[in-house]
Parts: sequence; C-alpha cells; structure tokens
Amino acid sequence: MASDRRHRVLTIARHEYRAAARSRILVVLLAILVIATAGSVIVAAAEYASRLADYQAYHAAAVAGGVTQIAPSPLAPLSLLRGAFEYIEIIGAVIAITLGYLTVSRERVNRTLPLLMSRPVTSGELAAGSLLGAVGVIVTLVVATMAVAVLSVGLVGHDWINVGQAGKLMLAFGVAVVYMATFYCLGAFTTASTKVATNGLMVALGIWLFVVLVLPQIGDTLDADNQIPGGLFAALGLGHDGEVQILTHFTAYETVRTSIEAASFAKHFERFAFAMTDVKERFRSLSLPDLFFQVRASIVWILIYATALPIALNHSFRNQPSIPQGET
Amino acid sequence: MKGPAIEIVGLGHKYNDILVLHDVDLSIDRGEIFGFLGHNGAGKTTTVNILTTLIRPTLGRALVNGHDVATERRLVTADIGYLPSEVRMYPHMTATENLTFFAELSGVEKAKHAVAETLEYLDCSDLADRRVGSFSTGMRQRIGIAQAIVHRPSVLFLDEPTAGLDPSGIRQLRRTILDLNRDLGMTVFMNTHQLSEVSRVCTTIGVLSRGELIYKDSMEATTRRFPDETSLEDIYVQMEGSPA
Repeated sequence: MASDRRHRVLTIARHEYRAAARSRILVVLLAILVIATAGSVIVAAAEYASRLADYQAYHAAAVAGGVTQIAPSPLAPLSLLRGAFEYIEIIGAVIAITLGYLTVSRERVNRTLPLLMSRPVTSGELAAGSLLGAVGVIVTLVVATMAVAVLSVGLVGHDWINVGQAGKLMLAFGVAVVYMATFYCLGAFTTASTKVATNGLMVALGIWLFVVLVLPQIGDTLDADNQIPGGLFAALGLGHDGEVQILTHFTAYETVRTSIEAASFAKHFERFAFAMTDVKERFRSLSLPDLFFQVRASIVWILIYATALPIALNHSFRNQPSIPQGET
Repeated sequence: MKGPAIEIVGLGHKYNDILVLHDVDLSIDRGEIFGFLGHNGAGKTTTVNILTTLIRPTLGRALVNGHDVATERRLVTADIGYLPSEVRMYPHMTATENLTFFAELSGVEKAKHAVAETLEYLDCSDLADRRVGSFSTGMRQRIGIAQAIVHRPSVLFLDEPTAGLDPSGIRQLRRTILDLNRDLGMTVFMNTHQLSEVSRVCTTIGVLSRGELIYKDSMEATTRRFPDETSLEDIYVQMEGSPA
C-alpha cells in the first residue's frame, strides 16, 4: 500500500518535471536567472582578480623582505556570489511562483484533472508528487546557477573555493531550494484556491512583491546604519559592538524595524545565505556552529514558512473540485 | 466478483440548492452495455461524475463493483475506466507518454508494454509517438478510449462518446465498444443522445428526464415495444414531455 502510494507520487513528480522542462516560459525565466547570475558574478570576479593580484604582490614582497607575520588575505571568494543569491531571492521566487501556477493551471486548461482524479490518486498524493517534481526542477535550476557562479569565480576571479567553503555554499544553495520550493507552494496554493487561475497568480505575485521587495526595503530604509553611504556606524568609527550598544537606546524603534524585516521570508533567506557566503565581514571568522547560532532566528522562520506553505498547498488541492463547478 | 456491476439507490445531487438528480434507483449487471439517454441537463453527466467519484452524491448511495463511491474511492477508481465527453490530454506529450502516465497512476506493471498492447488492440499504433496536441477529434477519442482501458478495468464509463465524431468515427467507436465488451468482458455505462447508437450497441437502456429515471429495460424488450427507430425516438420525445 505504502509502495503503491510512493509509486504514484513519483509518477506525478516525473510528470511535473517533464511538463516544466517543456514549458517555454520557464526555460526563458531560467535563462534570465543564469545570465543575470553569470553577469553579476563575472563583474565582481574581475574586480576580485585584480585585488587578489595586489594581495599576492604584497605577499610576495613581504616574504622577499623577510617579514614573518604577514596579514591574511581580506578577500572572500564566496562573497562574490552575493549577486547569485540576490537574483535567486528575486527572480528565483518569481520562477517558483510561475512553476506553481503552471502546475494547477495546466490541469485546468487541459481539463485533465477529471482524468487524474478518476484514477486511484488522492489529492494529497497529487500535491506531494507535484511538489516533489517542482523540487526536482528547482534543484536543477539551483545547481545550474551554482555551477555558473562557482566557475565564474574560479575562471575570472582566479580563486577556486576550497572544500570547507564548498560545504557552506552547499548549505546556502540547499536553503535556496527550500526558499524557492516555498514560493512554488505559494503559487500553487493561490492558483488552486481561486476559480480563475490568473487571479491566483496575481495574488501570489502581489505577496511576492510585498515579501521580497517592499518589506526588506522598509527595513533597510529604517536601518540607522543605512542613513549615509558606507554606513553610519563605520563613519563614526564604531564596530559591531558599538553599534549594538547605541541601538540599545532605540529598543522600541529597533523592535518595530526588525519585526517588519522578520515578516519577510526573503530577508531570512538573505541573512542565512549571506552568513554562509562571507558577505558579512563579521561572520567570516566564525565556525559553522557559531554561524548557525547567529542566524538561528532566520533558520526558525524559514522552517516555519517551509512547513506552513506545503500544508496550505495540500489543503487547497483537497478543496479543489475535480470537475469545473456547474457542469451537469 | 458477485452482485451487479453498478447499483444506485435513491441517488440525488444538488448544485447550489438546485436538485439536478432525484431519487434514482438503478442496477446494472456485469457484462451489460447500458445506454443512458436524456436531454441536455437531465443529469446524465452528474450521474457519471458520481459513479467515477469525481463528485460526492448529496443523497442516496452508489456502488461500483460493490464498493461505495463516496467512502471507498480508491477501490472504486482502481477498477473503472472513464472517457469524458471532451477528451483532453496533455498536448505537449505524445500519445504513449500520456497513456504511460495514466497507466502508471493505475498501478499497471510494465506500463509501456501495456500501452503498446492497448494501442495495437485499438488499431492506432500509428499515433503512439505523435503529440496529442496535433490530433483530430477522432484521434483524440481513440487515445481517450486507450487511456480508459489501458489498465483493463471491469467497468467503463463513456460520457457522450460519439460527440464530434464523423460517421466513420462513430462506426469505429461502436465496433470498439462491442469488442471491449466481448473480448475483455467490460461492463459499459454510456451516456448518449444517439438513439441509433443505443439500438445498435446497448443491451439495456435507461432514460433520465429532469433528474429522474423514467424508463429502464433491456434493449430486447424495448425493441419489442418500439419496433423501429422512429417509434423509439417518438416515445423518447414523448417521455421527455417535449413537443414532437
């Protein structure tokens, strides 16, 4: 019985993957993501290559001069992938929503839902299979983006990431898969919950706009450190500890600001990904457990969203009529 | 299996508080080809939708192969085939890909082999590797029947199967229904407007009018009562209460 269920879920997943792979709109969106990522990483890597050359020249000169204590490289190759994660955060979420919309609208447009539901398939298996197939598509997409980004860093930036960095990068891309899968659930959920599929897509894109662009923007605008270019606290010569100390005098303001940011799923993904890829300088020296501790709130929020949306998806599939209402 | 293939007791269904099916009692034996006649909106498709578990009945009970359509959905759907009035499949996939997908959902082992065998049985192997999106109505109907029988169900539901078919397509479909009944022993439940189809193919007929079953008898008894097609049409119109 359980193996029958697994077989049906896998059949639906394969079907979902094939349909997505043959969708022109998804192929176009994937191309945009990969090209945007490559462009962003290549530009950053070119500048990195010149800074790396400068450091290597300094290092060689220091060694030749008999200097024994040489400053370590301040460069972090993983931080070049910032653009890749920002594009996944914005374009990746749109791709995932589109994927979810297509899952539901495909069955409606083709009128194949009655044929599906006249088979021994439950709506739960349909939801699970569709999600699994979508995760397959997202993994393909993320792996393609990761390969382009890492190759760009190596080939243009002349610095190949090591095993430890690769591990952190895998974690960040793993969470990127979870992030996109959650937006897939949002797209499928809103589409399945509305009679007109395009209305569902519009609702999902409205939520995307709010969660990915508006909320983080409000949070950033209200951030005291962002009030002058280069950072207010840096201009005042204050480190992270000094910043924290000053902000204790603005507790209520900071609570409101961080609460606005906390409502954004995208912000949590960004915080986790940036922590794993050395984008934030203060995280660079931390061990992996310490990194997890620093972004624990984001991890919890990501898990909450990533659990709630599949449940909502399952619920909407269960309530979706097998045949268009009113047909007699 | 014992007992009738389909048993309906006091079946009723409401759409938005409007009763579209009312107190229908019906029993169809195994191996029958049952023709379900009725005007547009009489409730034929609603009946098929209930029997194929696509909608839940508001009132009464329906059993297929002894299993309740409302509470034993998986057991019912495991052993039925369904051809909707308008056959629409995944247009970007070939006929074989479509059929393999549906066969696998029904738990058919060696699905590709079963698909090839079914296409050969229906004499449409030439369509196997073509995308369904390019098919004519007749071709889609043949592939639709293939998806309905690829898992060899014991009961086959056909909703207006001749709609949109040309005369040769209708003739081919008629032959197919008779072959399926004879070769595979399938019980066939067919919604139709076509009296000619009913008289040539069905072993039993029922007439549904405004959601109520107003006539049911064997084709043999019906033919005795209405010896030619014109008189059958007359009596159908009369039963419907429409102007002749």
